[in-house]
Amino acid sequence: MCKNPYRLIKAQVLDVITETPSIKTIRFKPEEPMSFSTGQFFEITVPGVGGAPFTPSSRPSQKDVFEVSVMRVGKLTRVIHELKPGDIIGARGPLGNGYPIDYFRGKEILVLGGGCGFAPLRSLMYSLFELSGQFKQLYFRGGCKNPGEFLYRREIEGWYERKDLNIQLTVDKGDDTWKGNVGLVLNILDSVHIDYKTAIAIVCGPPVMMKFGTKKLLEMGFSDEHIYLSMEKNMSCGIGKCGHCRIGTYYACKDGPVFTYSKIKSFPEIWD
Amino acid sequence: MNISPYYLSNTDLNRFLEDLSACFQVYIPIQKENQRFYKEFVPGEPVSLGMPRTFEPLKAFLTRARETVAKDFNEKTPRQGKPIAILGAKACDLKGLKIQDHVFSGRDGADIPDPLYVDFRRDTLIIASDCASCLETCFCMSLGVSPHPQENFDINFSTLQDGYLVETGSDKGKSVIEKSLKLLSPASLDHLRERDNLRAKTAASVMDNIKKNSVPDQEHFKGIIEKNYGSEIWQQEARSCVECGCCTIICPTCHCFLLYDQKDEKSMARLRVWDSCMLKDYARVAGGGNPRAKLWMRLRNRFEKKFDFFPKVAGIYACTGCGRCISGCPAKIDIRRVLHKLVEAHV
Ligand SMILES: Cc1cc2nc3c(=O)[nH]c(=O)nc-3n(C[C@H](O)[C@H](O)[C@H](O)COP(=O)(O)OP(=O)(O)OC[C@H]3O[C@@H](n4cnc5c(N)ncnc54)[C@H](O)[C@@H]3O)c2cc1C
Ligand code: SF4
Ligand code: FES
Repeated sequence: MCKNPYRLIKAQVLDVITETPSIKTIRFKPEEPMSFSTGQFFEITVPGVGGAPFTPSSRPSQKDVFEVSVMRVGKLTRVIHELKPGDIIGARGPLGNGYPIDYFRGKEILVLGGGCGFAPLRSLMYSLFELSGQFKQLYFRGGCKNPGEFLYRREIEGWYERKDLNIQLTVDKGDDTWKGNVGLVLNILDSVHIDYKTAIAIVCGPPVMMKFGTKKLLEMGFSDEHIYLSMEKNMSCGIGKCGHCRIGTYYACKDGPVFTYSKIKSFPEIWD
Repeated sequence: MNISPYYLSNTDLNRFLEDLSACFQVYIPIQKENQRFYKEFVPGEPVSLGMPRTFEPLKAFLTRARETVAKDFNEKTPRQGKPIAILGAKACDLKGLKIQDHVFSGRDGADIPDPLYVDFRRDTLIIASDCASCLETCFCMSLGVSPHPQENFDINFSTLQDGYLVETGSDKGKSVIEKSLKLLSPASLDHLRERDNLRAKTAASVMDNIKKNSVPDQEHFKGIIEKNYGSEIWQQEARSCVECGCCTIICPTCHCFLLYDQKDEKSMARLRVWDSCMLKDYARVAGGGNPRAKLWMRLRNRFEKKFDFFPKVAGIYACTGCGRCISGCPAKIDIRRVLHKLVEAHV
């Protein structure tokens, strides 16, 4: 008999970390081996309540404990925020296709992110840092509404120290704790000095940012097949059966969630 | 695979089904007022197989409207009871199974199989039957389906004046027939001629329906969604929709579902329920964003899935012409009319 793809792996919550007023990070330890490559996702279930897709934000090379950072937006995520160390949850995965890290080697890379998009991007950055020196150039451009909502602020600000990274951060609206740029993240792209025609861009963030970010990158000269997008769609099964996450002739869960812009650009209304 | 047809008399049909009941839970179609439903066979009761499609689509036997797909953290969720034998499956519903197979069977390693479906599909015996008549809403022949099954069955029955012509379509069907050989005799040329005449008669009435309702043939469907994407047709047609989701639930090709979780003191379970892309929350994402917030967008999406997505990924239109969505829709949205408009608008 084939494996049951709906089966959950039992996992124990180790820690619940408050990141921002609306985001908490859940550290959990599955009872059976699990793994993921960056950009793939898990389905996390609270027994009896429900499950939803979440992209791990931890180091893909760490295979016993995983982290997901969860924004409180509704019914399930509210319950996830109330989890305590020792609680039992269910996990399924890894699901979907992640970033083709090997293909990125030797290239110039721009990572563009915003808001909740920092969660999957943190695991991507960990993967890229592990291959430090194997990319021609590495740029990170990140933005947030305000410093209070800046996910992993300390950690990401720490990346300014890295020699292998050119980083700039911005917030839409500053406060006394913020010494950096103020304004939209798209406005700090002018300081990216790479060959747009051959460079790779990775975009992850709220829908508006994805849409206008892609538009701007195209104007700058990035090519369709070098822009990597992580598409958020309503998902239930995560394995291309339930129909929910369809984008044109693809299912975001099974053919994505990471797509090149060239792969999906012909479909109508991809940003909605 | 087909072996030469057999003849089974009306009186022996019941004995054949009793034999079958030893290994299978047998379901037969019955007529109740002006609808037809499936029910479990009781030895001795009259059985008639010539009537057109039932109210429930065939898929209901393979992906149940609601069923447990995982329990606690366990791998297995065994289904209870004997395997099922379905009698009187119609050609239109057999085309529907092709879509269900494409989605759930794993397609020879090209995709993840759904173990519940795979097991159930393997164990279920499908005994199809010719339509001896059709309904006013039947338009299968527009979708390349003739009202007498030609593929995707284990056994097929053609109704004759005083009995049935029996053909096998798979090894599974053959081995079942071999157990009942004592009831069967080789079909005569007269039987074959009678069957062909009856088939032609039903096909002619389906063609009549198609003409009367100006239903275009599928050879004109290529590109109808892309070309009409911005058309007024969607708003016009969606105006009366009450968002009940009936059209998708009774559709033999629709496969969408939703997983949900249940728990009591002792255990927890994950269930799969049929879902409908016509319902507002179907595609809603976190925090309330909705790519198809308006009803007409969801109607368009339903047609897109059937007439653009499936032909592109599976080489087949996900409509069987069974007409269930026409008779089920309280708002009288008629897929024949929509297809007519879509084809007309773009020639
Ligand atoms: C590939 C992927 C990765 C994601 N990664 C993260 C992450 O790392 N961190 C994070 O905070 N969020 C992530 N999300 C979004 C997260 O899945 C939603 O926030 C979550 O589903 C909201 O559930 P809720 O019940 O709290 O919200 P509500 O808005 O109350 O949702 C109610 C219902 O809406 C439906 N729904 C809404 N959004 C979704 C959705 N995206 N998928 C499926 N059903 C949905 C469900 O049926 C749900 O039961 C990701 C989404 C996807 C598709
Ligand atoms: S649509 Fe065709 S195959 Fe289906 S019940 Fe009607 S006549 Fe029979
Ligand atoms: S989540 Fe079910 S098809 Fe993608």
